[in-house]
Amino acid sequence: MPLAEAVPNPYQPSLVRIHDFSDETRDVRTLRLQFVDDAEAGSFAGWEPGQFGQFTVFGAGESVFALANAPWRPNGDNGSAPTIECTFRMVGKVTSALRAMSKGQVIGFRGPYGNHFPVGDWKGKDLVFIGGGIGMAALRSAMLDVINRKEEFGEVVILNGARSVADMVYTEEMPAWQEVDGVRVVRTVDPGGENEEWNGEVGLLPNVFEGLGLDPEGRIVIACGPPIMLHYLFLSLGKVGYSPDQVVTTLENKMKCGIGHCGRCYVGPFSVCRDGPVVTWAELNELPKDY
Amino acid sequence: MDSSWKLTDAQLREWLSGLIEGNSVVAPVEEDGVLLFRPIASEDQAIVKPSGKTRWSPKEFLFPRSEALYRYNFKGGSVQLEDPSLPEGHQVLFGMRSCDASGIVRLDEIFLSGTKDRLYAARRENTTVVSTACAAADPECFCTAVGYSPVGEEGSDVQLVPVGEDWMLRALTDKGRNLVGDAGDNWAEATVKDEKEIEELEKTVAGQIERSPVNREWSQVLEEGFEHGAWDRLAQHCLGCSVCAYVCPSCSCFDMNHDANAFCGEQCRSWDACTFPLFTHHASGHNPRETRQERYRQRVLHKFAFREENDEPFRCVGCGRCVALCPAGLDIVSTVAAAVEAIREEGADAAR
Amino acid sequence: MTEANVTVSQVGTGSVPENWKPHIVALVCNWCSYAGADMAGTTRLEYPANVRMVRFPCTGRMSPLMILRAFEQGADGVLVSGCHPGDCHYVQGNLVARRRFTIFRSLMDFIGIDLNRLHFAWVSAAEGHKWAKVVNEVTTAVQEAGPLPSFENPEGWDGIDLPVMEGSGPQELDQGQLDAIRTNLRKAASEVLKTERVGVVVGYGAGALLDQTHAVLITDTADCENLEWGRSCRNNLSAYVGSALEKHERVAVVAKTCDLGAITGLIREGQLRRDQILVIGVQCPGIVDGLELATKCLSCSGDPHPICDLVVTVEGVHESCEDPSTSALDTPDARDEQIAHLESLPYDERWKYWQRQFSRCLRCYACRAACPLCYCSTCITDKHRPQWVPTSIDNQGNSAWNIIRAVHLAGRCSGCDECSRVCPADIRLDLINRKLSLEVERQYGKIGLDPEEKSALVDFRMEDAEEFIL
Repeated sequence: MPLAEAVPNPYQPSLVRIHDFSDETRDVRTLRLQFVDDAEAGSFAGWEPGQFGQFTVFGAGESVFALANAPWRPNGDNGSAPTIECTFRMVGKVTSALRAMSKGQVIGFRGPYGNHFPVGDWKGKDLVFIGGGIGMAALRSAMLDVINRKEEFGEVVILNGARSVADMVYTEEMPAWQEVDGVRVVRTVDPGGENEEWNGEVGLLPNVFEGLGLDPEGRIVIACGPPIMLHYLFLSLGKVGYSPDQVVTTLENKMKCGIGHCGRCYVGPFSVCRDGPVVTWAELNELPKDY
Repeated sequence: MDSSWKLTDAQLREWLSGLIEGNSVVAPVEEDGVLLFRPIASEDQAIVKPSGKTRWSPKEFLFPRSEALYRYNFKGGSVQLEDPSLPEGHQVLFGMRSCDASGIVRLDEIFLSGTKDRLYAARRENTTVVSTACAAADPECFCTAVGYSPVGEEGSDVQLVPVGEDWMLRALTDKGRNLVGDAGDNWAEATVKDEKEIEELEKTVAGQIERSPVNREWSQVLEEGFEHGAWDRLAQHCLGCSVCAYVCPSCSCFDMNHDANAFCGEQCRSWDACTFPLFTHHASGHNPRETRQERYRQRVLHKFAFREENDEPFRCVGCGRCVALCPAGLDIVSTVAAAVEAIREEGADAAR
Repeated sequence: MTEANVTVSQVGTGSVPENWKPHIVALVCNWCSYAGADMAGTTRLEYPANVRMVRFPCTGRMSPLMILRAFEQGADGVLVSGCHPGDCHYVQGNLVARRRFTIFRSLMDFIGIDLNRLHFAWVSAAEGHKWAKVVNEVTTAVQEAGPLPSFENPEGWDGIDLPVMEGSGPQELDQGQLDAIRTNLRKAASEVLKTERVGVVVGYGAGALLDQTHAVLITDTADCENLEWGRSCRNNLSAYVGSALEKHERVAVVAKTCDLGAITGLIREGQLRRDQILVIGVQCPGIVDGLELATKCLSCSGDPHPICDLVVTVEGVHESCEDPSTSALDTPDARDEQIAHLESLPYDERWKYWQRQFSRCLRCYACRAACPLCYCSTCITDKHRPQWVPTSIDNQGNSAWNIIRAVHLAGRCSGCDECSRVCPADIRLDLINRKLSLEVERQYGKIGLDPEEKSALVDFRMEDAEEFIL
């Protein structure tokens, strides 16, 4: 067969319907999406935690969001029809158009793209998930994957920080996480971001983390947040004795094609969409500070 | 020697005429004083022996300036998606230089590796490249300085070599042999002596290029000196356009946008460049490459560093168009040399 | 879009389908024309239904981009209508718009749009009858003009031979004289740095190729030895003044006389203050573009202008700084003949000429980058809510870009021709910009090098011409 006929169009999305959504904050929403076409739902291969999708608002454009729910695996026990969740902040043209959409409306999805968290390597280990602001969305798939089979892992600490109480995401489901044996959820807001009802920590994430006094020995840190937060967090981690191989993060960069062609997401030789977005602190140190 | 022939100029033009009958032929033409690749309708439109390179590379015939990636419409209350039809018919890219042919291979490394690009793959498969070895170097050429050659065969299916007033025609691949077909029956076979002309030509043209070689090891120096203050200083006069990227045979970055109305739309990709401020601009407002100098650094490193292996070719093929056409007078080769010198002398961490 | 999904009738072989009816878009102001159209409706006046209205607060808000967009999206004709001068709901919106429309219309004509497709009218809220009459007239005119020609490279078209431009150029300077000027320039630069009159000198330094220079920003007197002068000093260095001022309080800039208009423009538009800049005017041999003297040099004497702070000649350096209100820049332009020739051709030939030119446009934005007066921190092309200028690099998008840039420069363009010099596609941007300069001059008079004078399109007079307005 001629090469070209055998090559599918990598850019044509699948149609997915907005089944449901919930508003995490005044500008952050989580969508629950289902395939419009049963055949596509049937042949969907699922994803692994850390991967992302390209979501299309027809007429407006495409945007990258992390696949945020527990990874759907064919023959897994998530139920027969794949559901895709994504959490997005309304910040530009596409996300504003997406925010204006209602249940039942159709958008496009293509993915999953990128590499994934090496969850298999974490078995038996103690884990710390550190999510700053909407960085939690990129970690959620891995967190839920771990929580759903907690017995395979060691102690799990989830440290979630946000600028203020109003900026916290996933607040409704955190109590359920806390209830799982061996899972501890610590929440903090930046100084000045607390309100009267707040019963969590108050302090910058890196400081709160240090305050937890967790022994680095054998522990894996999985962190995601704004670049400035990661910068200071890595300093703290280094100070407390974590080696760069123990720390995993997921990079965000401007992405368009999702398949390593358009050139936009490159950090040195590293294409975030193709070689990432999951990357260890050690690997990050090898890359130029260009992200 | 059944793939190498000696042709007169008239025979070459006759062959070209024949090609036009069964293929879409793109060749250098002169339009309003500019030497450009355009589709031709008759062989006399083609400038077979141009006095220099075309103003920009022929990459747009494999990677168009703009094209629809898919289309959709909103009929029936939902969304209907449609793939654009694949380009039909065979195209012959005629008369490009070796540097441009190498540029195509650099594009293949992007669009045909990993997830393949459907539209590019279709065009590429239906394209035969007929290159022309250089009779002379243009003032801006520096292919030999970056590991390429004026008689290089990379990317060519058929290579034409100017021999005095005549031509040597060499079919280098199956596609090339197919394109020649039985026209070769009417041509004289090339001799060993003719083949020697290629070496002579290479020596002559290489001798016209006055640039010092760019060492493969320099890639590492450039990468180590990422934070060095020299980058700022060397690109102070960059004006932030994208002439360099758009005339370049191996630049392939693109943007994707939706263009739609209430009834229908399409996802369209268009050429884009890392030199533009919006290239890496996040919706949050963060931009990893805020300044022109940082963007120019990215361009240089992408062309001359950031390779998987040290023995991989530079992405810059040395055509020199960016040097000749830069509105601000930037020269990528002297930038590389100056950066390497500064980084070595002052240490990788020296600020300006 | 790269291929319009909206059905657009095309003028292919010149024959128009029998029952073809034009698509016409009307941009109307809310207070007068929209109300007038409404009145036409309520009084049951009959007029053709080909017109789709888009309501605006005021004609002052109507950017030529919007008119262009209508044509790109398939309109065969556009009608723009607002309040009568003196009656604008916002007092002067239509008065500023009137000048803008005049210039834009002349550009559309120049580009080859049949002016039977583009109409302007003043229709008041009480003029229901006038509205009906205007729509009738416009529909008839567009019907006659036929479907809008397509935005595409005219295949197989032979092109137009423009008259050869002539002129003797600046006085000959031999190598000895050029060397003397260069030495004097270096002295002058060194002096202004040493005496701390400025923190940086923006000048020309040698480039990589033989006939190339590039901008250099010199802060050290010793580096003044790197300053070059000659026929390859092409850049308009005022494009670098803004960024130089980010790091230094006062900047010296080496200027050819053709660069001065841009400096004045920047001061006029508040981008820099006169006291922030020290202009070093230099005797110029004319610049070479390719192998020949650049067009703009053909009618220029090459003499530095007395408005500069310092003047460098073969003889030496002297202080100058003449009062700008008394000075004029009066050089006839060699390309005016080419413009006249194009204007003598039928509009469909002009359309083909410009569509061919725009078919080469790569949207590299070199024109914008090299232009000292394109200083918007975010260009209109980079604004995507909404995306006014199509991102697609095809004739529609390219036409929109080049036309709107010309309109944004109308009355401001200093004629330094950097845009056409740097264009890798040799698009005759100089003709477009010069055409608009001539039109502005013809309609509203010439402004010189005085930054105090207002540029034409931010100004208006009650008596501005409007003979084309219905």
